[in-house]
Amino acid sequence: MAGKTYWLTNVKLETGYRYENGSVTGTKTEQFHVRIEDRTIREIVSADKLLITDLPIQDANNYLMLPSFRDMHIHLDKTYYSGPWKAPTIPSKGIITRLEEEEKLLPRQLPVVEERAKNLLDLLLRAGSTHIRTHCNVDPVIGLKNLEATLQVVEAYKGKASVEVVAFPQHGLLRSQSVSLIREALKNGASLVGGVDPATIDGNIEKSLQTVMELAVESNANIDLHIHDPGHLGIFTFKRLAALTEEAGWQGRVTISHALALADISLEEASDVADMLVHQGISITSSVPIGKTIPIPLLQKKGVEVSLGDDSITDHWSPFGKGDSLEKAGILAERFRLSDEFSLGQTLRYITGGVTTLNADGQRIWPHVGDDADFVFVDASCSAEAVARRTSRVATFFKGNLVVGTL
Amino acid sequence: MSTAFWLTNTTLETGYQNNNGVVTGTNTERFHLLIDGGKISKIIPVTEAITDDFPQKDVKGLLMLPSFVEKHCHLDKTLLGDRWRSVTPVNSIFERLEIEKKVLPSLETTTQERAEKLLNNYLTSGVTHVRTHVDIYPEVGLKNLEEVKKALQTFEGKLSYEIVAFPQHGLLRSNAKNLISEALHQGANYVGGVDPATVDGDIEASLQQMVDLAVEGNAGIDLHLHDADHLGIFTMKRLARLTKEAGLQGKVAISHAFGLGDIPLSQAKGVAEILADAGISIITSVPIDRKFPPVGLLRKKGVPVAVGCDNIFDVWSPFGNGNILERAGRLAEISGWVDEQSLAQTLSFITDGKTPLNHQGEQVWPNVGDDASIVLVDASCSAEAIARRPGRVMTMHKGEIVSDSFGERIDEK
Repeated sequence: MAGKTYWLTNVKLETGYRYENGSVTGTKTEQFHVRIEDRTIREIVSADKLLITDLPIQDANNYLMLPSFRDMHIHLDKTYYSGPWKAPTIPSKGIITRLEEEEKLLPRQLPVVEERAKNLLDLLLRAGSTHIRTHCNVDPVIGLKNLEATLQVVEAYKGKASVEVVAFPQHGLLRSQSVSLIREALKNGASLVGGVDPATIDGNIEKSLQTVMELAVESNANIDLHIHDPGHLGIFTFKRLAALTEEAGWQGRVTISHALALADISLEEASDVADMLVHQGISITSSVPIGKTIPIPLLQKKGVEVSLGDDSITDHWSPFGKGDSLEKAGILAERFRLSDEFSLGQTLRYITGGVTTLNADGQRIWPHVGDDADFVFVDASCSAEAVARRTSRVATFFKGNLVVGTL
Repeated sequence: MSTAFWLTNTTLETGYQNNNGVVTGTNTERFHLLIDGGKISKIIPVTEAITDDFPQKDVKGLLMLPSFVEKHCHLDKTLLGDRWRSVTPVNSIFERLEIEKKVLPSLETTTQERAEKLLNNYLTSGVTHVRTHVDIYPEVGLKNLEEVKKALQTFEGKLSYEIVAFPQHGLLRSNAKNLISEALHQGANYVGGVDPATVDGDIEASLQQMVDLAVEGNAGIDLHLHDADHLGIFTMKRLARLTKEAGLQGKVAISHAFGLGDIPLSQAKGVAEILADAGISIITSVPIDRKFPPVGLLRKKGVPVAVGCDNIFDVWSPFGNGNILERAGRLAEISGWVDEQSLAQTLSFITDGKTPLNHQGEQVWPNVGDDASIVLVDASCSAEAIARRPGRVMTMHKGEIVSDSFGERIDEK
């Protein structure tokens, strides 16, 4: 299906940094006209030039264009969002309390999973996200029913966002004997193998990780594991995962979500772990928990690909969560005191799959002709302001189509 | 004072739902409230008919909460309303002070304009009382105080306020004693201060001068204390001693008090007892880039705690927005308070201690005779308001509607 061909006029793009005494003190912008064709950016011309065209024109009114955002860790199938308020209970047995709760909760919620997932996706789109990775429960409690509901929603939203689905054995791949269910899920639309705490939940790090890897290899699927296990228990798990990644030749195809253990060790040690992750192309996704944050800027500096995700958006695990990736980037900046112009602007990378508008030398590296027409217009003068002030999102585009908002 | 009117169909919290002694939810009912003379003069259940002819404003089931208190802001420092600028990296607080001294007078907007912009944000986010610090130092004299007072005067009747005369460049270091004293005569109600050790270089002399100024000016004290771990703790203990000696119990606050977050909880307990005994309260901005005082422990020990936004887009920080409800939500999140009761009670940190329900779930607010200083929010209960930070639909200060977006309410659900 070919997309519309049209011009977006008066688009504000960042063109370079302003310097004072060698430090970046501001960001330069100029106005451009951008031609969209076949769902990609086909031409970028200065707005100083008179535009003579028969193509339809959409005036961007000098709003700043940024690459659209990515929420790389969410649970669309478990949210209470748009439903009645309910606070989580006090988990007297920790994560086990939450798993026990799911035995009753998931079947009860099944009839509203689709509706809430759609409402949550609408929220994410309004916030400027068009690429989403959702972890979907696949376990003996709910079988493949949450997956079916999630896939219905993904299909309904395929013109608005790309959503990848992780087959997530929330109750433990081994603990809940979910291996064949996960295999089934991967045959039926899930594209990644999930997992959770091979030590604490499954009780057998080696067997759990090996099973994950086997499932991934036989289905040619990527991996995204939730690892909350603390301290050196978590670090050991990362090391075994890295070794198995190398054996299977799965470099660049494995993500660790949360990776909380990295917050428990010294920066020197974390730096060594980062080297290992880079070597195996293992990426990290964090929800930037403000009580315990892993050293994200260090990981990034070492070359680890780090993405952010919202995780819970009001569910039985957590009552918080806003579904706003730009807010997450702002929290990350605040958490790590990234408050100068350059650092703030570069923080965007964590919510765009590594894309920033300017590189370290202040050259424009986004957008380029040929890039997917996935972008968001914000009411800001530059990326740095957008991140620090979480400026409002005016319109979100996916594959060249306006999917929410108005210009 | 405007004439009396009814707020009809407001939702009030009436009790907790319990399951085997565990709070699992909040009960609410709808009421009509008569607002008269700036007070809540009648509260009747909706099953009872209104028999008088006073005008009625139907709020269609919105939840009513006590309006919020912003306990730590700097109306004279914000850049809101001016163009974007990020923060210049510095090597010390002293470099930052020099930058601020240069930047603020160079802006195209006036201090008054920017302060008014922030005050407006406060009203729309449900705040009707602010405590603002105002920089007082030799180069600027009382100019910031005058500008902030002008801004506050344009908001007369819309919110109440307290002003701290804040020697940002050091009470001793910038020799600001006489100016602070003058500020206390010109409308400031609190003596401020900053890091008696790091900034002033003499803890004892700095604290004594602060206390002397407070006693002479019949004022309270609000000290910015960032000094870390035992340096901060020592300063707190000295201030507690001087507070008692001067009879200033109940009139002294320590903002930030980072030291309390740096020491083990077992030690913080003892310090909390000293603070409680001296009637010293703690104000925190709930920073996420460093440890801060253990709020739960302080509350348990009887130390009053309040939350304030502090930096709101200024030369110190590009972050912050004046949304104090969001700040309270952040406190709950960082403290791991996720259950119904813990979330609901978090409200007390932004309402000067008021909550609709007490710990036992008894309705303790609002009462007939209370000031009609309230905020109506799009939530089912206090707990939801803290966790979800829903839209503030209407803010009322002593019976006056000071912010109202009822007409343009979009239901995002």
